Amino acid sequence: MKIFSYIVIILIGASCSSDKEDYVPIENAALQFTVPANFPEPSYNVSLNPPTEKGFELGKKLFYDGRLSSDGVISCGFCHIQDFAFTHHTHIVSHGVGGALGTRNAQPLHNMAFMKEFTWDGAARHLDLQPIIPITAEVEMNETFSGIVKKLEDQPEYVKLFAEAFEDQKINPDNILKALSQFMIMMISANTKYDKIERNEGSVFTQEEASGFELFKSKCASCHQGTLFTDQSYRNNGLAIDPQYNDIGRNRVTGLAEDLHKFKVPSLRNIELTFPYMHDGRLKTLNDVLDHYSDGVVNSETLEPTFKRQDGTLGIPMTAEEKLQIIAFLKTLTDDDFLNDDRFSEF
Amino acid sequence: MKKIAYILLTFLVIVLSCKNDDGGTPEPTFGTLALDFKNTINATGIELGTDSYTNASNEVYTISELKYIISNIVLIKANGEEFVYPVDRSYFLINEEVVASKKINLADISSGEYTKIKFGFGVDQSKYPLNGMTNFIPTAEESGMLWSWSAGYKFIKFEGSYTVNGGTPADFLIHVGSHGTTLDNYKEITLDLPTALTITESASPEVAINVDIAKIFDGINTHSLVTKSDVQVDPVNAPLIAENITAMFTVTAVSN
Repeated sequence: MKIFSYIVIILIGASCSSDKEDYVPIENAALQFTVPANFPEPSYNVSLNPPTEKGFELGKKLFYDGRLSSDGVISCGFCHIQDFAFTHHTHIVSHGVGGALGTRNAQPLHNMAFMKEFTWDGAARHLDLQPIIPITAEVEMNETFSGIVKKLEDQPEYVKLFAEAFEDQKINPDNILKALSQFMIMMISANTKYDKIERNEGSVFTQEEASGFELFKSKCASCHQGTLFTDQSYRNNGLAIDPQYNDIGRNRVTGLAEDLHKFKVPSLRNIELTFPYMHDGRLKTLNDVLDHYSDGVVNSETLEPTFKRQDGTLGIPMTAEEKLQIIAFLKTLTDDDFLNDDRFSEF
Repeated sequence: MKKIAYILLTFLVIVLSCKNDDGGTPEPTFGTLALDFKNTINATGIELGTDSYTNASNEVYTISELKYIISNIVLIKANGEEFVYPVDRSYFLINEEVVASKKINLADISSGEYTKIKFGFGVDQSKYPLNGMTNFIPTAEESGMLWSWSAGYKFIKFEGSYTVNGGTPADFLIHVGSHGTTLDNYKEITLDLPTALTITESASPEVAINVDIAKIFDGINTHSLVTKSDVQVDPVNAPLIAENITAMFTVTAVSN
């Protein structure tokens, strides 16, 4: 191979007496995007935005940079903290610039390459478009893309990184969003105890976890389906309407009455750490969540039909013991390797 | 491997640049084109804020704001051959208030004779890669053409006030765009040119496009403001209005 390139160089030298300097390509190695053996094919077309070392580094820098917000403080990482699977730990709703409060609970970031739509209501249909929402929302980062481009152009380290990461070398919204996606698609969480069992890597469930898994399969897995633990649909899980937010859910995106108060079925990976729960963070613990499903479901026009039982009662029947078993199983979905992976850490 | 590709590419470029002009096929040439959009009602240019108009539902309205996005411009020859304007440079905001915005200047168009023009109303959010689509964000955010809660563009922003039978004026607001995967209001519009358009290196041809704004209310479908004066994320009315919009453009003249 080397000999071949030498020949080419000689040929170039001989082909015309140009005194141009030798072209020195920028070193920007491709990153390996590997689909875990027990995962489905990604939804994100990785070949259209193949992650590279520099693109990933740039995406990470942008993710943790307050310059993406109007007050220079609120970065993506402000509400998406790695230790808690990139959620805003203990915050019921997301916090934005100037102490503004959002209306929804920040969702975890992991396995984004495998998701078809984004945010609680599916307002973003592509990962490259998702960051537009928090960046421009007044109660979140409250910034404009022209503002961000201007700020980044003043930073020599960004000028250099964009030039290294992208062929056209430009600091523009396209490249900002592509870099953020390169960072996010690499955030794969697939090394939980559950994964190791699913992939036959030698781990085994405890008896309690195994019972929990059986219960989970019969009571939860119709929505929290497959190895991603979500069928990526939108459903009304019977939460009472909170008058403070009166969040119409998926209806905001489709305008359809049938989508009123429906929200994306979330993945349950790392669920142990992503409290508080639900789209508005109203439930503090996993036990509260299961109590909601067994006893708290409120009826409405769009309530998930499987919650309407033959005898007229609502929800999913579970005993206290069963709840403990299910929670024991859910804790096998915690991925310590991911939570401690330096590649994704701010510092 | 990548290194070698670069070296080969450099090699190829050098070889090509050293080539003699020894006849063969002629070098392709390129020219410019200007598209003149004229927003009219009853064949008269519209006046924001002052003039009032009456729609088929007998509602008298004035317009305070009129903006829309044109994208994905394609020129078509009589034999069906297409010249696709570079997609990443093919997003334009027409703003009634800004005279310069109503003239779209295109460059580097392949010389030839064209008989049709095709363009998009709005932004095609269903196709990936995004082809520079997000590089239009700064223009859109300056003119309020970005939804704040959703990752997408408003394709048209049409606002004003209206009265019925001399009653008290009320505001109307029509924002049409695509949302999520269920509501896609992007439209492709193909127009016949009344005479052939000739693109050459030396000329500066123009195509005049009349945009009959009255058709937003009264086109293929009729939209009454009394029935719905606030059309935003509207799975019923927004698609009907988008359909009306597909019929509001006509090419009135080609000057080569």
